[in-house]
Amino acid sequence: MPMKSIILNEYTKIWSYRAFRVIILLHFILFFLVVLVTSRLDITIPGFSTDYLYQFPNIWEFFPWVASWFNLLLAILIIVMTGNEYTFRTFRQHVIDGLSRSDLLTGKGFLIITIAVYSMLMVLLFSLLFGFIFTRDLTAALFLKKTYILLVYFVQAVAYMSTGFLLAILFRNTALAIVLFILYRLIIEPVFRLFFPQGARLYFPMKVISNLTPMPEFLSISSGNQADAGNADALNLREMGLLAEDLPVYLNLVLAIGYTSLFIFLAWLLLRRRNM
Amino acid sequence: MEPILNIQQISKNYGRIVAVQDLSVNVGAGHVFGILGPNGSGKTTTLSIITGVISPDNGTYQWYGKSASSSIRKKIGSLIEVPNFYPYLDLFRNLTVVARIKGKPVGDIERVLKLTNLWERRKSRFDTLSLGMKQRLALSAVLLGDPEVLVLDEPANGLDPEGIAEVREIIKGEAEKQKTIILASHILDEVEKVCTHVAVLKKGRSIAQGRVHELLAADDPVVVECNETEKLKSSLIRAGISASIEKDGNQLVIILKSGYEARDVNEFAHQQGIVLTHLETRKKSLESQFLELVKQ
Repeated sequence: MPMKSIILNEYTKIWSYRAFRVIILLHFILFFLVVLVTSRLDITIPGFSTDYLYQFPNIWEFFPWVASWFNLLLAILIIVMTGNEYTFRTFRQHVIDGLSRSDLLTGKGFLIITIAVYSMLMVLLFSLLFGFIFTRDLTAALFLKKTYILLVYFVQAVAYMSTGFLLAILFRNTALAIVLFILYRLIIEPVFRLFFPQGARLYFPMKVISNLTPMPEFLSISSGNQADAGNADALNLREMGLLAEDLPVYLNLVLAIGYTSLFIFLAWLLLRRRNM
Repeated sequence: MEPILNIQQISKNYGRIVAVQDLSVNVGAGHVFGILGPNGSGKTTTLSIITGVISPDNGTYQWYGKSASSSIRKKIGSLIEVPNFYPYLDLFRNLTVVARIKGKPVGDIERVLKLTNLWERRKSRFDTLSLGMKQRLALSAVLLGDPEVLVLDEPANGLDPEGIAEVREIIKGEAEKQKTIILASHILDEVEKVCTHVAVLKKGRSIAQGRVHELLAADDPVVVECNETEKLKSSLIRAGISASIEKDGNQLVIILKSGYEARDVNEFAHQQGIVLTHLETRKKSLESQFLELVKQ
């Protein structure tokens, strides 16, 4: 099966699909509105100005963090597109027509990467737009510092979507996969983590993935939690995801890529073993 | 000659339910092979296995002497159960997706849509079609790229009489082009009219297999009418031509021993100086034979 046909087919499937267009549009507009509105906020705390977040290089930290709130939409998108293949029984038909099961995986893998690229480009576009407006005394060094976070964001988007993809393959049902994704992300794993010691909690998949784009340090300092980061309150804030935690970025990145590969591998096993 | 499809001893269970049991089938090139059986006899399971969507618990099958692969499936046009398409895509786009998977030219879509009278509707979304149109679209997808082998599961499902006749014409047309066709059906008439070979399934087992006319015509009775029925009857028995003879009014219903046919009866009667006023080979309807087979 030539790669080109698989890719063209994925495009054909999303291009005419209204739900897909609506979700992408929502994603784009919501992100834009949030960063626009936040930039207009006039917060009068001494020494704090939101402008700071919109300047290079801080914007490379701030925008991916904001964008990470909307990764749920991207995961839902993948769940819907994969769930459709089961609802319409088109995965089954594709196999009958001559796709191998790994071709099915390739198609959806390609879709995940395409959506992650779109989302990364969206963050890049708005970062450039707002960054150039808000930054005075711009130097190349200042501009380039922390741009790598954009790639980290890309990995995060891929990781979330792979999680959604695995759930869709597992349940073969769109609604169930979406509900399970949200429950697992917001309740099941966070509660489960509480049974583990502080250090171990950082290694759970959702924690690893969400920590890829932590809240900008500047914001957490301003929220006034930096002074006694060791005390119980701060720990709770951390558990709630309000305070950045401390696995080194590279380790977090390696773990996230590891989890993503694992999820895709499990999805492949399920695809291969099961009847269509 | 290498068979197109060779199934050896496949079995498939769904939990405690036996769907297919030790089924072996050979389909040669150019055969129109009917798989005949009542609902739930394992037809669709068999076709799902040979088209790669479910794997058998036991047994193997080969296409063109090779074990199954996605590249072989691209050469086979298959319609299993219901038509599966994207409801929000129009017909042309749906077939484009299929053409890309099979590696067939998109240019062929016009031909197959015209063949099934759907060309006018090519810009309609799939979910606006009637059941019969959906079935015809599925048939278009099967014919896309002119495959050598067709696998059809109840192709006349959901069609009105006119649609059934159209589908039958299309299948006959393909058979005339020396295509190999595997056709599952519970409609005997369909099998009798288009198939050269048939396997009859009952509860997942093959209970009879062979050429349609041999399998279904083996015991066709010869009916004769003459003035001297008693004489003919006794001399036929003495000559050892008949397996059984029943007298029905002034008619004799004769089941012949194998190797004899109606003309032998005529010749024999002539030698005995008996003039036949009526001679016919009465085809038992496939329906009654099918029921006989399945009842056993």
